Amino acid sequence: MCPKPLVVKSTTMRLILGLDAPTSGEVLVNGKRYTTFLTPMREVGALLDAGAVHGGRSARDHLLCLARTNGIGPRRVTELLERVGLDGVARKHVGGFSLGMKQRLGIAAALLGDPGVLIFDEPVNGLDPDGVRWIRDLVRSLATQGRTILLSSHLMSEMALTADRIVIVSRGKLIAEATVEELTARHPSLEDAYLALTASSAGHRAGRP
Amino acid sequence: MRHVLPAEWLKLHSVRSSRLAILLALGGVLLGFGIAQMAVGMYDSASPAQQARARIAELEEVVLIVPQLSLGILGVLAMTSEYATGLIRTSLTVVPRRWPVLTAKAAVVGVIGLVTGPVVVFGTHLVCRWVIGDRFSGLYQAPFSGKLPLLVALSLTVPVFALLGLGLGTILRSTAGGITLLVGLVYVIPMIVGNLPGPWNEWLGSVMISALARQISGDLTTPGLYGTSLPPPMAAVLLACYAVLPVLAGLWLLQRRDA
Repeated sequence: MCPKPLVVKSTTMRLILGLDAPTSGEVLVNGKRYTTFLTPMREVGALLDAGAVHGGRSARDHLLCLARTNGIGPRRVTELLERVGLDGVARKHVGGFSLGMKQRLGIAAALLGDPGVLIFDEPVNGLDPDGVRWIRDLVRSLATQGRTILLSSHLMSEMALTADRIVIVSRGKLIAEATVEELTARHPSLEDAYLALTASSAGHRAGRP
Repeated sequence: MRHVLPAEWLKLHSVRSSRLAILLALGGVLLGFGIAQMAVGMYDSASPAQQARARIAELEEVVLIVPQLSLGILGVLAMTSEYATGLIRTSLTVVPRRWPVLTAKAAVVGVIGLVTGPVVVFGTHLVCRWVIGDRFSGLYQAPFSGKLPLLVALSLTVPVFALLGLGLGTILRSTAGGITLLVGLVYVIPMIVGNLPGPWNEWLGSVMISALARQISGDLTTPGLYGTSLPPPMAAVLLACYAVLPVLAGLWLLQRRDA
């Protein structure tokens, strides 16, 4: 999902997760409204803002708090801390974590319930090359396991490497929905495709910065 | 709800500020001990004539401000720390029905208040019996059963403060706002009310939160700062309202607002 401006994608994700209420229409996940799930972590895992953690809580306690709400046991928490490489700092306060570590913690939280659908909002923003590579490989491997992953980014080159299907949204409207191959067939790169498609959407360049 | 309750319990006690708030609340007993010691020192150095006229306020009521405020703040923070960090969005994503989150928080801070309150009130009472002995006309030698209603009523104000804080925190979603309103409601407004012309000071003074414990117990031996015009059952209902209504308002808002 490559939106312009920013608000569209975050709002879309919040609408899916039942955080915001739509003025009209509804969003269904696996045929049901998200808010009707009793154990939503087993259906959908989401990482919207990696910085949204209490700095005074340890990584392990943070995950345990979330796991408990959906009846997920502590063994799964230990498993995920190892998987994202945070087992060494599991008892450390999250406040001292780098952005990359918080990003890993957020991904561990999203994976707690082993959900078939994952939603990541700008997961590589602000990460160093190692972190970007790690997220890309993880997302690819999660997709190979048959999971559906909805990922938003402004980094077209990164999306070309990570995504199968691209949705381009601009000024609240759907501009394109196609595979990476389809989009790059008519343009030199995904970035060019993105710029060409969004430029033709009623002069949005004249609008807000 | 079965799962959310243990989650909220861990959420609260895994953060240092909560443990500090509870520790500070228990410190009320130490304050009681200090004041009692000071009072005894003054009493013992006074002349027999002065001693005969010396009176002391019930220290359980005096030190109550410590557990009331610290658990009130604990209640505020239980909700507002989630808004401040943005964690609330994750909390509501994993519990999208939302009401179990606030209900579980209310249960957790309510129970902490329900345990801390009596520990401080009865602890201070025992300390005063031990330190003050038969001084001050034997205020602290009265039979325990006679003091029991007042001590129980005073203890109950502590969980009420915890829930009041939680309710205000949920409504305002801001730590500073929640704490300011809590302190204003409880300590500033009564001061204004106390200075109103009669009979307003008596009427409004009777519905102030700190006036209710005495009216519930009917124990009006020591002159209080507040009004005393409510019958015990009405005072009890009003005390419950201070705890329940803000939480219900918070619940209503939480279900409706975008997170």
